[in-house]
Amino acid sequence: MKKLERIKGRAWVFGNNVDTDQIIQGRYLTLLDYAEMAKHAFEIPRPEFSSAVKKNDIIIAGRNFGGGSSREEAPQILAKTGVGCVVAESFARIFYRNGFNVGLPLMTVSEVTSVVRDGMKITVDLSEGTLRIDETGDVLKGDALPQMMLDLLRAGGAVPWFRQQK
Amino acid sequence: MGKTLAEKILGSHTKKNDATAGEIVEATVDFLMVHEVLGSRIISILDEMGVDKVWDPERILVVNDHWAPAKDSMTAEIHQRSRDFVAKHGIKHFCDVNCGICHQVLPEMGLVKPGDLVIGSDSHSTSYGAFNAFSTGLAATDSALIIATGKCWFRVPESLRINISGDLPEMVMSKDLILKIVTDLGPDGANYKSIEFHGPTIDSMSIESRMTVANMSVEAGAKSGLMTVNDAVRTWVATRAPGVKWKEVVPDDDADYVEQIDIDLEEDPIDPIVAVPHSPSNGKPVLEVEGIELDQAFIGSCTNGRLEDLEIAARILKGKQISPGLRMIITPASREIYLQALRLGYIETFIQAGAIVTNPTCGACIGGHLGVLGKGEVCISSTNRNFRGRMGHPESLVYLASPATVAASALKGVITDPRSVQ
Repeated sequence: MKKLERIKGRAWVFGNNVDTDQIIQGRYLTLLDYAEMAKHAFEIPRPEFSSAVKKNDIIIAGRNFGGGSSREEAPQILAKTGVGCVVAESFARIFYRNGFNVGLPLMTVSEVTSVVRDGMKITVDLSEGTLRIDETGDVLKGDALPQMMLDLLRAGGAVPWFRQQK
Repeated sequence: MGKTLAEKILGSHTKKNDATAGEIVEATVDFLMVHEVLGSRIISILDEMGVDKVWDPERILVVNDHWAPAKDSMTAEIHQRSRDFVAKHGIKHFCDVNCGICHQVLPEMGLVKPGDLVIGSDSHSTSYGAFNAFSTGLAATDSALIIATGKCWFRVPESLRINISGDLPEMVMSKDLILKIVTDLGPDGANYKSIEFHGPTIDSMSIESRMTVANMSVEAGAKSGLMTVNDAVRTWVATRAPGVKWKEVVPDDDADYVEQIDIDLEEDPIDPIVAVPHSPSNGKPVLEVEGIELDQAFIGSCTNGRLEDLEIAARILKGKQISPGLRMIITPASREIYLQALRLGYIETFIQAGAIVTNPTCGACIGGHLGVLGKGEVCISSTNRNFRGRMGHPESLVYLASPATVAASALKGVITDPRSVQ
């Protein structure tokens, strides 16, 4: 069982309705190597993302993050680039499942995009369900994660979770 | 409190035979559809899980449709992996690259019936709601878990009920209706929810028209787009799955809905709708966007590549020529539809009019092949998504519309009201 560590990183702020084609375009889905595919993460909205992202950076987004296609490649490549967590005002439902399935933590925090600015250093605590802005010490409260999602995260994703169940 | 369609169908697939909105249940799946994601992702996940046996080889359909036939050596490899998996595990239902788009071929093969719980590795798996089945899209890992166990967990969705009455006017299609509904709801207006479509308009619709509506429910974020059985469904299931027993599911009169919306098409008739870039929920009456210049017109996809769609396009294009300088690409949704269109003379009409007719494939809709857009190009399309870069270059523009509006626009070279070309 994995402990849910605090995630400390820089914020990358996006708007509402970031669909899966903005996270990874359909034309890259035939690449079988996720590391190769990850070079094209957010290629349309933030072309500099894949070269500038650092380990544990945090994606901040508005409503309906990850709408559109069911492609699991979207959360998978974010995890591959080192993204530690996605915090959004709401998530599209398939993306939400997929995130936890691949072990990428997701947290819902209302109005997060009106407080967090691009490049801010922040700390996310999944156990407490909070987001802290390091410079000011301000704390935003997120929605508590359902038990099922906590189980998946603690296991490290759906595949290790399945192996534990066997 | 009574039960909604979602609660009834999901509930009947649980051990305790009950489901209530908001709770998380484990359900036994009747049927699973997987496309190329089998070859590209699922097989590796199954290996990682240590699973070498599928739960039931008779309850899985594998389809090679997204890049059919293979557009390059990478897709060829993905297709080959899927074929090997089908052979190794004796998967009973397999559609290779000559067959058609998954959401069309699954019902054609008689693999869905009322009351079923069907999962697909594709977001447009909501399509089978047209058959009174609870169906939704999941991705590779969840599909792998179902292949291994035949089970999956679901959060039972709240339901939103839309009652629709009145006839659609001439040249206005069910695509226009769902584009309007998605626009009114917004891109996340039904997120996590099940939409139930009821009323005489839905009851009198063909299978084709119903599937278009259920298919695009997901563009408002819906988990499913459900309908009750009508005569078209009864005939379809009797023909496609003869001898198979099924029972219609209806919601209780006192079922709990988070919202009810009434649409009366007699009182408020709708116009043909065009969704402008870059969201299916950006619908506008065609009159507001008429005259926008086009490089490409596309008819196809799991949303609108069926016989009814080709019929109306053929009616509009018959004996005429598409606008010089515009490309028109028509992709029937399945081999069966292609053959029917061939026999009925539609294919000849399209080719005579200057259009290109391709084999069935998801192709252009996903920017895959056979109609990819270049920088700055503008396309009117009968497909389901116009996200930035969806059909090709990030700087291309896609306008979503009905097949009638696409065909009328192809004649003029600019976005055109189909009622003006009759």
